[in-house]
Amino acid sequence: MHEMECRVLSIQSHVVRGYVGNKSASFPLQVLGFEVDSINSVQFSNHTGYSHWKGQVLTADELHVLYEGIKLNNVHHYDYVLTGYTRDTSFLEMVVDIIQELKRANPNLVYVCDPVLGDHGSMYVPQNLHPVYKNKVVPVADIITPNQFEAELLTGKNISTEKDAVEVMDLLHKMGPDTVVITSSDLPSRLGDRFLVSLGSQRTMMPDGTKSTQRVRMEIPKVDAVFVGTGDLFAAMLLAWTHHYPNDLKTACEKTFSVMHHVIQRTISYAHELAGPGRRPSPPQLELRMVQSKADIEDPAIVMEATVLTL
Amino acid sequence: LEAPCRVLSIQSHVVRGYVGNKSASFPLQVLGFEVDSINSVQFSNHTGYAHWKGQVLTAEELNVLYDGIKLNNVHHYDYVLTGYTRDTSFLETVVDIVQELKRMNPKLVYVCDPVMGDQGSMYVPENILPVYRDKVVAVADILTPNQFEAELLTGRKINTEKDALEVMDLLHQMGPDTVVLTSTDLPSPRGDQFLVALGSQKIDGTKSTQKIRMDMPKVDAVFVGTGDLFAAMLLAWTHLHPNDLKAACEKTISVMHHVIKRTMTYANEMAGQGKRPNPAQLELRMVQSKKDIEDPAIVVERVMDV
Repeated sequence: MHEMECRVLSIQSHVVRGYVGNKSASFPLQVLGFEVDSINSVQFSNHTGYSHWKGQVLTADELHVLYEGIKLNNVHHYDYVLTGYTRDTSFLEMVVDIIQELKRANPNLVYVCDPVLGDHGSMYVPQNLHPVYKNKVVPVADIITPNQFEAELLTGKNISTEKDAVEVMDLLHKMGPDTVVITSSDLPSRLGDRFLVSLGSQRTMMPDGTKSTQRVRMEIPKVDAVFVGTGDLFAAMLLAWTHHYPNDLKTACEKTFSVMHHVIQRTISYAHELAGPGRRPSPPQLELRMVQSKADIEDPAIVMEATVLTL
Repeated sequence: LEAPCRVLSIQSHVVRGYVGNKSASFPLQVLGFEVDSINSVQFSNHTGYAHWKGQVLTAEELNVLYDGIKLNNVHHYDYVLTGYTRDTSFLETVVDIVQELKRMNPKLVYVCDPVMGDQGSMYVPENILPVYRDKVVAVADILTPNQFEAELLTGRKINTEKDALEVMDLLHQMGPDTVVLTSTDLPSPRGDQFLVALGSQKIDGTKSTQKIRMDMPKVDAVFVGTGDLFAAMLLAWTHLHPNDLKAACEKTISVMHHVIKRTMTYANEMAGQGKRPNPAQLELRMVQSKKDIEDPAIVVERVMDV
């Protein structure tokens, strides 16, 4: 039987307990048959939404040392790189250097980048990361998963309508990535205010050399809880499903958003059971039910349909 | 309500490959265990490659991470799992943590691979031995030494099966109710293509033990990470078959067999005809073995009562 040989380098946080960063991305990718090499950018006890958190961070130098080890053994050959939440500009710049070198080693490498900067109008990383993402990271990215705020920051353009969003995604294509998914937005959903709107855009080269763009829109049920790690899971699963459906963003998004739905539903049910009636679940209780969702990760039942936008 | 079984695994992390936590986590997660992992080091790859680079966690930093867990009042574990450690103060901190976790949950099971060496020589600093012998083994519940490690811990040489059974009884007296001698030099009744492993488990509520012998085919390759996978899978299968060491070992050894076989086939393919595979090629085919990990087909007739 021919096995899938696909190797991902994921450079993200590690938490001892819970599911964010590499903890959120690795298991689902491995369950789907990807080889995951992981560089842990930090090691914390748990994510920073708990009352307390403690741990250590990796410096840009230490990142470089780890990469050197891989390179010295001549095993620096990757099909994908995946990155997420980073707070340190020199670390991020080192990541860019590494990706550029990995792309020289494999020109077909796909860099999946979650440009984590903030949400709902405010930044939650240092401001000086913004120019690094805009000028250095996004240009080498192939797939990006900004939320609305991040898409606006990166392009300098506000999104008030679907037309704005499409223009912003086109601007992002021009900056680098052929695949853009705006993971969440404030745009009004046609299904009412219990839903949020996500949009995606994928640019492909046609056999005749022209570029064709497929744009999709999804109405996603809102959840009444704050989850951490869902963005990391999303980027990892988008990596997986665009790998299996490279020219079909509609299907890749349907699979990805469906997995998210199953994991989140399972997590919410469990969290409410643990918290008890009428009580809001705590961060430990809201940790994603990742391990319990294995079957959904392997083969997600499609629970939402993406609409292809005809413009 | 599915109460998850939560494991705290304190082992190495390698960016590439399968040793330490990389070897233990995925299989345990695939079997439904919640795995909290403290990475004792972060290296590019294991130290059998031509090159390796990375950083180590100090005992102090280990304490800091544990403190974070404790401050959130989530220091509740069903299992602790440890393996290869080179640092005595790190190991002593691990013991302190295990003792505290056992106060929080008296039913906690500590699965300990007392990694010190093999084939007659130590590959960790000598001063690790007294820490294992005098502090760690005392708090361990399941122990997976090889013959050399069992001899070091008990001060007794193993020349016959009878010696091995006595050594396992000595180890019971030192702490663990379950002991598996993962490999020995004892001659196998099946011939010299096989090596002998032995196990002993105290039977609940009695003073007697169930003792078993396993004859396992030797493999013509040096694998790294197999001991870590073994300890993790023994944790899983003793959990699923408590009080039945024979069943637990049948499953554990069967998983090892499938993973190793798949790995050898792949490594030989990658190396090409007549060439010995290199460390990179010999990395365990962990992800590809998911189905075998979930539900290992038993390679029967391996486990005999002694």
